[in-house]
Amino acid sequence: MLKKKNTTTTTLFNILRHTTPSVPKQHSPLTFSSHSNSHFLHKSLQSPPFSPKDRSFHNPTWFYSFGYLTFDGKRLYSKSAESVKERSSRCWNCHAVHESTAAAPFLVCDSCRCIQPVDDSVDYFEIFGLSKKYDLEGVNLEGKYKDWQKKLHPDLVHSKSQKERDFAAEQSARVIDAYRTLSKPLSRAIYMMKLDGVEVDEEQTISDPELLAEIMEIREEVEEATDSESLKQILSKMEENLKSWSNTFATAFQSRNFEEAQESIRRMTYYSRVIDEVVKKL
Amino acid sequence: MLRVAAKRLFVTPSTAPSQAVRVLPRFYHERVVDHYNNPRNVGSFDKNDPTVGTGLVGAPACGDVMKLQIKVDEKTGKIVDARFKTFGCGSAIASSSVATEWVKGKQMEEVLTIKNTEIAKHLSLPPVKLHCSMLAEDAIKAAVKDYEAKRSKTTSANGEETATGDKAATA
Repeated sequence: MLKKKNTTTTTLFNILRHTTPSVPKQHSPLTFSSHSNSHFLHKSLQSPPFSPKDRSFHNPTWFYSFGYLTFDGKRLYSKSAESVKERSSRCWNCHAVHESTAAAPFLVCDSCRCIQPVDDSVDYFEIFGLSKKYDLEGVNLEGKYKDWQKKLHPDLVHSKSQKERDFAAEQSARVIDAYRTLSKPLSRAIYMMKLDGVEVDEEQTISDPELLAEIMEIREEVEEATDSESLKQILSKMEENLKSWSNTFATAFQSRNFEEAQESIRRMTYYSRVIDEVVKKL
Repeated sequence: MLRVAAKRLFVTPSTAPSQAVRVLPRFYHERVVDHYNNPRNVGSFDKNDPTVGTGLVGAPACGDVMKLQIKVDEKTGKIVDARFKTFGCGSAIASSSVATEWVKGKQMEEVLTIKNTEIAKHLSLPPVKLHCSMLAEDAIKAAVKDYEAKRSKTTSANGEETATGDKAATA
C-alpha cells in the first residue's frame, strides 16, 4: 500500500507550487541570465523523472547547491520577498541573508551566530550535507553530528533569549533524529522511501509462507538456543542477510523499483527484529 | 522490557489518578498482561495432520509473525482445539491468545465472523496496537482457509465427490 504524505506550506508557496508544476518554470518570474539554462539541465539530470509534491520543497536548496547564487543572489531577494524566503533565508536576529547550499543548511546564522527556527523542508540528508544516496560509505556522520551539536545543543545557550533556547531545543532534537535515522540502514531506507512519498503501511498483513516460515524457524531457534556460540552464529547469519537485502534495496531504489524496494525493507525489518532478539539474549 | 512494564504498570485506565491536566499514559490492560504472563494454548500441532489447519501471517511494519493452528472435528466441522505461537509485542501475543480461546468449540463458519475490533475491545488495545488484532483476525482466516484447502485436496485425491457444502462458508 502506498501512502502519499501531505505537507503544510505557506500560502504563497502553495500558489507557486500549483501554478508552476515543473522545476524550471518555477524560476521564470524571477529574471535569470542565460546561465540558468545550463544549470537547469544540470539539475534535471540529478532529479528523478517524476516529481511528487514533496520535491518542490527541495528545489530551493538544490538550486543553490550548484553554487551560482552569488551571481544572482542580490537580484533574487530584491524581487518578491516572499518567494525568496524559501530560497535564501533571513536571520531573524540580524537579518543577514543566508544562502543555503547543500553543504551548509541554514540552522545557525553565520553573522550573528543565532540559532534559527526549524525548517521542515530541510531534510535529514541536507542537515548533514549529503546527497540523497542510500550508500553512505566513508561518510563521517558522527563527526558532523558532533559539530552540529556543538553549535545547537541547548546546554550551550543558557545566556541567550528564551526564544533562541527554544529554537536550540528543536534544532538539536531534529539533528538527533536525523543522525539516528541516517546511521542505521533500515531506518535510512524507510526514510528515503518516505521522502519519495512511499510510506510503510502499518495495517498491512502478509502471508508469504516462505518468508514467514523461515522467520518462525529462526525465532524458534533463538528461543531454544542455550549457548552464546550458537546465538552468535545466528547473529552473523542475520547480519549477512541484512547486508544482502540492504544491497538489494539500494539497487531497487536506484532503479525506482518501489515494489522490490518495499520487499527489501520488509525483509530487513524481519531480520533486524531477529538481531534485536539475539542481542537481548546475549 | 515488557515484563518490567507489566510489573510496573499493572493498572487499568479507570484507576488512573485524576489530575487537572490529564496526560493519558499508555498502560497494558490487565488482560494483556494476564495473557502475557499466563499464556493459554501456546504450542504446535503436527502440520501434516489432516485435521489441522495452520495459519501463518506476519505484519511487516513491525516484524511480527503469528502462527495459529486449529484442530477440526471432521464430522461436525467444529474446532475442537487451537494452538498459537507468536513472535511480537505483548499486544500481538495477547491477541493471538484470545483468538485461540475464542475459536475453541465454534464452527468454522462462525469463527470467520470474529472481527479484529472485538479482540481489540476485549483487550482495550490502544489505537497504535490495533494492527495486532487485525493480525489475529487474519491468522484465524488463514487457518480455516488452510484446513479447507487440505480437505479439498484429500477428498479429491480419494476420488470422492465433495458434497460437504462447507465450501460456501469461506468468506
